[in-house]
Amino acid sequence: MAVKPILTIVERDFKYFFRYKWWVAGMVSMNLADLFIMAIVYTRMVKPDVITDYFVFFAPGLTITALFAAAFMIGREINMEVRREISHYMLSLPVKRWELAIGRVLAGGLRGIIYMAPLLATTLGITYLYTGAFPAPLEFLTILAALFLVSLGTSGLSIALAVSTTSFEKYITARGVVYYLLFFCSTVFYPIGLIERALPQLTLLARYNPLSCGADLSRAFLLRSPPFSPYMLVDIALYALVFASLALFAYMKVTQK
Amino acid sequence: MISLRKVWIVAERDIKMFLRYKFLLIMRAIWFISQIALFGLVVNHMFRVDVQAAVGGSYFNYYAAGIVITMLYSTTVFIGYDIYEEADHGVIEYLLSVPVSRKELVLGRSVGGGLRSFLYVGPMMLFVLYLIGVSNPLQLLVALLSLFLFTFGVAGFSITLAVSIKSSDRFDILMGVIDALIVRLSTTLYPIAYMPPYYRGIALINPLTFAADFFRWGAGLESAASVPPLLAALGIVAFFSIFTFLGVVLHERRLEGGGWQ
Repeated sequence: MAVKPILTIVERDFKYFFRYKWWVAGMVSMNLADLFIMAIVYTRMVKPDVITDYFVFFAPGLTITALFAAAFMIGREINMEVRREISHYMLSLPVKRWELAIGRVLAGGLRGIIYMAPLLATTLGITYLYTGAFPAPLEFLTILAALFLVSLGTSGLSIALAVSTTSFEKYITARGVVYYLLFFCSTVFYPIGLIERALPQLTLLARYNPLSCGADLSRAFLLRSPPFSPYMLVDIALYALVFASLALFAYMKVTQK
Repeated sequence: MISLRKVWIVAERDIKMFLRYKFLLIMRAIWFISQIALFGLVVNHMFRVDVQAAVGGSYFNYYAAGIVITMLYSTTVFIGYDIYEEADHGVIEYLLSVPVSRKELVLGRSVGGGLRSFLYVGPMMLFVLYLIGVSNPLQLLVALLSLFLFTFGVAGFSITLAVSIKSSDRFDILMGVIDALIVRLSTTLYPIAYMPPYYRGIALINPLTFAADFFRWGAGLESAASVPPLLAALGIVAFFSIFTFLGVVLHERRLEGGGWQ
């Protein structure tokens, strides 16, 4: 296995990402609508003893929603390639299947991180302005590493979903189901204490949900609450490993058909 | 002269097509359940007592009624995606060759798009009405009739955009952006009283606000409605009229000539 062909595939997918300016602009506006409309209104409605400032609480969660949307775009493209049989052309390239699959999964993860970067900067600005807290360099690197792993896992999840159906509508709808189940059963929108009170039977699931770990890890360094725990990193790494592997095998299997 | 029979034939075809998407219908029902049973229940514990009072006693009921309207909206918008599927498979050319005028075709599609989403959201709506507990059936009937007009308007809106843009990717992202803004800048998720003043103006003229508030009024959550019922009804009629007219005009002018991407 050579690194250069993988990098070529990553580079190709990267260039494609920036060709979809409309998509990126649309996604940014959707993410910002969550922060600058929904979170602002909720801030005026939330009990202060539950969340002091919902806008600040939600800001680190925004990076996770952004990352999820961007990492899921690779699945959309692969679904289109499978439908229009462009995957046959991909197989004709002088690249091994393993290399092709690794390149696609990696590109999906990296696209998520690149797209999320300006939103992470927005989050850093907001949390600094409101709380005065700023992460130390090592803490910042830990946030980046954790978010990259979340992005990689999500890219894997989206590819695995994309190759399991040839219908675009089914893919879009399945993406919605995954989004709602993963996000609403996580601490992206609300703290774990609230889930414990409202839906105690889902607490364990919400606590170990990789999106919860990603959001809480960011909050640990940006808002100093909840406290950082190494299990968050382990959980996210496992998520990335499982779904990246699943995507590799699923993608290879589909392209071999 | 428009033949109602032909309009109905087109509408019936769209309804039958929609009911064939069993997988999508089940998946979208999961969307609804997760929004109500996960987000709705948790968020209900998050809000202050004055918020609960302002929304008629229970934020959960307020939210559930709002989610029905967002479901109605997102299901009706689906008609635009259908037009792209048809363009992809060359069905548009076939539809243009059938003995139905363009006006009948687009009216049928608006009616079909609205009716099928009503059929689909119906059971969820009944479930939410059961949760809320209906106090005045006549009031509810009036609200449901207005919601019919609302869905026809949304179908016209989706058709207008689909035939204007003619690119499935741009349509998909534009619908995503509109969905994000139209839902968040309405009273489907929260009452106007808690919105900052700079958002209130948009929320007050948003068709989703009219539909959500009128539905809540019909369900007996009058105190939660931000817009007076008569004004909400007029807003829905205006929305329906504008977008059905635009849908008919643009559909007639732009459907032919290819250029679909």
